[in-house]
Amino acid sequence: MGLTAANWLALLQGATFTVALSLAAIAIGIPTGLVLALIRWQRVPVLAPIAAVLVSILRAAPAVTLALLIFFALPTIGVSLERVPAAILTLTLSTSAFNCEIWRAALLALPKDQIDAALSVGMPRLLRLRRIVLPQVARAALPALVSEITLLVKVSPAVAVLGVVDITRAAVRIGAQTYVPLPPFMGALLIYSLIVFVFVRLQRVVERRMALANEVLR
Amino acid sequence: MTETTQETVLSVRGLAKAFGANTVLDGIDLDVHRGETVCVLGPSGSGKSTLLRCINWLEKPDSGQITLNGSRIGVRPGGNILMNDAELARMRARIGMVFQHFALWPHLTVLQNIIEAPLHVQKRPLAEVLPEAEALLRKVGLQAKADAYPARLSGGQKQRVGIARALMMKPDVLLFDEPTSALDPELVGEVLAVMQDLAREGMTMVVVTHEMAFAREAATSVVFMDQGRIVETAPPERFFRNPQTERARQFLLRYAGAQPKELS
Ligand SMILES: Nc1ncnc2c1ncn2[C@@H]1O[C@H](COP(=O)(O)OP(=O)(O)OP(=O)(O)O)[C@@H](O)[C@H]1O
Ligand SMILES: [Mg+2]
Repeated sequence: MGLTAANWLALLQGATFTVALSLAAIAIGIPTGLVLALIRWQRVPVLAPIAAVLVSILRAAPAVTLALLIFFALPTIGVSLERVPAAILTLTLSTSAFNCEIWRAALLALPKDQIDAALSVGMPRLLRLRRIVLPQVARAALPALVSEITLLVKVSPAVAVLGVVDITRAAVRIGAQTYVPLPPFMGALLIYSLIVFVFVRLQRVVERRMALANEVLR
Repeated sequence: MTETTQETVLSVRGLAKAFGANTVLDGIDLDVHRGETVCVLGPSGSGKSTLLRCINWLEKPDSGQITLNGSRIGVRPGGNILMNDAELARMRARIGMVFQHFALWPHLTVLQNIIEAPLHVQKRPLAEVLPEAEALLRKVGLQAKADAYPARLSGGQKQRVGIARALMMKPDVLLFDEPTSALDPELVGEVLAVMQDLAREGMTMVVVTHEMAFAREAATSVVFMDQGRIVETAPPERFFRNPQTERARQFLLRYAGAQPKELS
């Protein structure tokens, strides 16, 4: 493809960065999404409508816009973030909103009598959540959560606008140095494909295991 | 016949509940004594399920008092302060409930379903709970299904697990909401047989049912509800032979066709 070993190395470093950023965002975003979903599901006063508005704004906002907003707008209220934390925050906020909707759909699909049964044997709130609600909801939500990871990897180049050197930005740099932009972008595409391929495989495995489990449970 | 005493386990006074403009319970008074099996009959929409759900505060009553062995449910002693979630949970642990659609937890096996609350609510040790669970499964004829998931059971088996789950908590009173209505006709008998055993052993029960044969044979008293009120309370012999109110007569006539399939 006409790329030097150094070029490949740069791309792979970018890839490591893309994956690391995505994984960090996922690690924070999945529990954050769950908390937001629980707040809405339990109709917590004051917080529930705030969560609803926040989630719909975040879901609508393009990742690039969100990244620029965080990087340039936060300092005006006295908070300034380094590039990398700003990048992670961008991806986390975005994925939290989508995860919230995934968790919420699973919570709403839980039959009401599951909770009634838990109440009827005297389970207090946290026990109901831990023993009855979460195990069922996690099973229901898992395939969609894994598929959201794949989507997140694909929107992650948006943080390149912050100057974070992810795969896409690494490709741009190589192209600028060699004046032949096509090979580095093809290389970048190849690496993205590999990463997404890994996550899609993971998704398949999860879905297959879920199908097996559901056969037992349904 | 079942031995009953005058000791009141459950007492309901002036219970009222409306959903919006729809008054569903309109001043219910009910006493259930130890060892009694009270069967609640009534047409669809008369408020039978709502009555049961108000007793353990799955539904918050609008007014009235519910007392279990002398302690008010839902309201703190002496005051007008509502119980919080944890206090309500402690009261509910003493009231068993069996659901029309079983409401077993699908992610837990039969055994796990029935030891869940004793282990995590009552915080009793597994070594103590397990033999009781096994004995109870044997009693409802499901020892072979201990490790099966609910999805693998027939409706009748599911409901027997539902009953075992409630019994594991050794409740002061057991509430049944149409426990056989969701079952295929050939599976109704096995569930009613378990319930009849419980009645005979002196379990205190409130049973909402459309099974007239069960009410006739197992009830110590029959409560007939219509439009959110208790219209008639009578021993089963009298209620079925000679109902005192016109509404009860009409109700029994309508159910006469779908009736006395004798219990085995
Ligand atoms: N959560 C609820 N919200 C609004 N209305 C309700 C609710 N639960 C019950 N109702 C209404 O209350 C009335 C009584 O309902 P309930 O389920 O207690 O009757 P029921 O005697 O158990 O009837 P069935 O024999 O059909 O089970 C009905 O009109 C019903 O529509
Ligand atoms: Mg009902």
